[in-house]
Amino acid sequence: MRPSPTPLRRAARQILSSSFTTIRAAAPAHRSLSSITTTSTGSDCTCGNGRTTARRPQIQSNQNPQQQQQQRSSYHSYDHPSPPASFTPVEESILSAAYLHVPAHGFTSSALVAGARDAGYLDISPTILPEGAFTLIRYHLVKQREGLAARAREVFGGEGHVGAYKLGGLSEGEIKGRVEALMWKASREQGGYWTVAGAIMAQPSYVPPSLKELALLSDEILFLAGDSSVDPSWYTKRVSLSTIYAAAELFMTNDHSPEFMDTRAFLNRRLREVNEVGGVFRNMREWVGFTATAGVNVLRSKGVRI
Amino acid sequence: MVARPALRRVAIPSSLRTSTTHLESRISRSPFSTTLQSRNNQKPNNNNSVPEYAIPDPARPTHFGFETVTEAEKRERVAGVFTSVAESYDRMNDLMSFGWHRVWKDHFVSSLNPGFTPLTAPGSSPLAPQHILDIAGGTGDIAFRMLHNAHVINGNQDVRVTISDINPAMLTVGKQRSSALPASQQAVLSFLEANAEDLTQTKPLGANQVGYSPTNGIPDESVDLYTVAFGIRNFSNIPAALREAYRVLKPGGVFACLEFSKADKHPLFNTIYKQWSFSAIPLIGQLVAGDRDSYQYLVESIEKFPSQEDFRDMIVDAGFVVGGKGYEDLTGGVAAIHKGMKPRRK
Ligand SMILES: C[S@@+](CC[C@H](N)C(=O)[O-])C[C@H]1O[C@@H](n2cnc3c(N)ncnc32)[C@H](O)[C@@H]1O
Repeated sequence: MRPSPTPLRRAARQILSSSFTTIRAAAPAHRSLSSITTTSTGSDCTCGNGRTTARRPQIQSNQNPQQQQQQRSSYHSYDHPSPPASFTPVEESILSAAYLHVPAHGFTSSALVAGARDAGYLDISPTILPEGAFTLIRYHLVKQREGLAARAREVFGGEGHVGAYKLGGLSEGEIKGRVEALMWKASREQGGYWTVAGAIMAQPSYVPPSLKELALLSDEILFLAGDSSVDPSWYTKRVSLSTIYAAAELFMTNDHSPEFMDTRAFLNRRLREVNEVGGVFRNMREWVGFTATAGVNVLRSKGVRI
Repeated sequence: MVARPALRRVAIPSSLRTSTTHLESRISRSPFSTTLQSRNNQKPNNNNSVPEYAIPDPARPTHFGFETVTEAEKRERVAGVFTSVAESYDRMNDLMSFGWHRVWKDHFVSSLNPGFTPLTAPGSSPLAPQHILDIAGGTGDIAFRMLHNAHVINGNQDVRVTISDINPAMLTVGKQRSSALPASQQAVLSFLEANAEDLTQTKPLGANQVGYSPTNGIPDESVDLYTVAFGIRNFSNIPAALREAYRVLKPGGVFACLEFSKADKHPLFNTIYKQWSFSAIPLIGQLVAGDRDSYQYLVESIEKFPSQEDFRDMIVDAGFVVGGKGYEDLTGGVAAIHKGMKPRRK
């Protein structure tokens, strides 16, 4: 089976249209995670900027001390998010066990079945997961996002992002540095199994949910890096980061340079391009290109003649 | 050709369709066993409190297509329909689904991927035996695909399949067709006469009617995968069948159902599809199989089957857990796959 240009183009179009809608759809859920309910902007669900506004340090100073107190504690709860409602307890028990088999089996049905056995279920049990092996990828992205706050503390020391606010805002350059450091940390911790994930994510029906999760992850990276800008570029940056993150992880799977130097250089180049005109679109094209190539490679390794 | 028992109903000509609609709305408000029951709050998997509606009652009203009949009468008349169409069954399926049923069945089976085991799970045997129970298995379409998937694609010969149906005429057609299978597959295939609503009483196909004591029901927790394809809408009491499924499945075992469903998320497509099914299918049934009534029933029974969400809720009520929204639409919802897993014992 040769991937014809049409499905690819369709996938690309889907990326373009869905990234914006999914980001909007994702925003309220994300906000509820950080449980910001006391700010005046917090109830404005239809406005995507509401959530970012609510987190801005400037807003904090406008609030009375009690609200400030709650705001801080919401940050704290943000650092220890309760398990996401995106998985039911049974799904969670199979997926968490299966996740441990990813290094050996990749994001595959084998990992799911091995996990089901560990969790005391049958080989047939994981077939109730509607998205099959993709569910495991979604689980991975959710875990990445949840683990990011801890990583931020590791990378930046102290309280991570909270420290950023104490500094009273960061310069553009500092933020970029922090974004880069965080993304490097996140992708550095991946094994070499991302290729399979990329191939699965490139299937058109999985593109919208992949982007939704990647957008949430990018959102988190920007937030933890201390980027509190509230303007249309927020969306642009998120989309860019999503694609760069996915591309960097894929790049890494073929990177044999010591300490993944090439990947780091790749990551730096891509991040520098974000503010250039057309950078976003180039990145998306690259992501589609990468995942398609990865997909073909995986199929080849499975004996499909392409 | 199998002898065709006279069906006791008269096909409703399309000119009288308005009165049918009237009847339909009356039916959907009544507490019949094939419609969604009001959700009662008792713990679903608590076996000593099986809700009253899930206990088969021959005298309770249910639907037969758009008609109202008792559960016992429905069973008898469904038997009439399938005895009548057993021979033309494959053609009928093609007509009712534009041939899509083959694609749906392939997808259904590959999404369950029977016989699949991780290649190198550390510390555990790679191949695990599985017992698949194909309920309302009729002519074997699903069971044969399951065997192929398990034995050939996954190379797991340790998967056996029981085809069960209430109707010996359908099972006999299935048995004949199975003679074309490889011997290794025939060896693990068995045919069982049973009513899905009560699997404690079963009878191997061809067992002598007289003197046969139906002691060998399907034991509790003996099945890995329970499948039912295009069968459940014909049952007189769906909640009872779901509870039997729950009983025979092992913890972690999966209930999987492929059935015609509601395409009403796409209004235009739905209109065209309904027009086709209500006007053309009974007519073609008459021309191809010389049997309008049976085909009229099949079309009406599709219409009366609960929506995707309602059926999913019935599955959850029976004690199963579902993944995601619990179902997958096929071809815009013309058919749907529902899956549920029997949870592990606490
Ligand atoms: C449309 S056929 C489906 C056959 C096969 N599963 C397929 O997909 O081709 C429906 C079957 O349901 C069976 N059936 C109807 N009521 C039943 C019941 N209460 N218990 C078991 N089988 C039943 C009929 O005898 C018939 O063979």
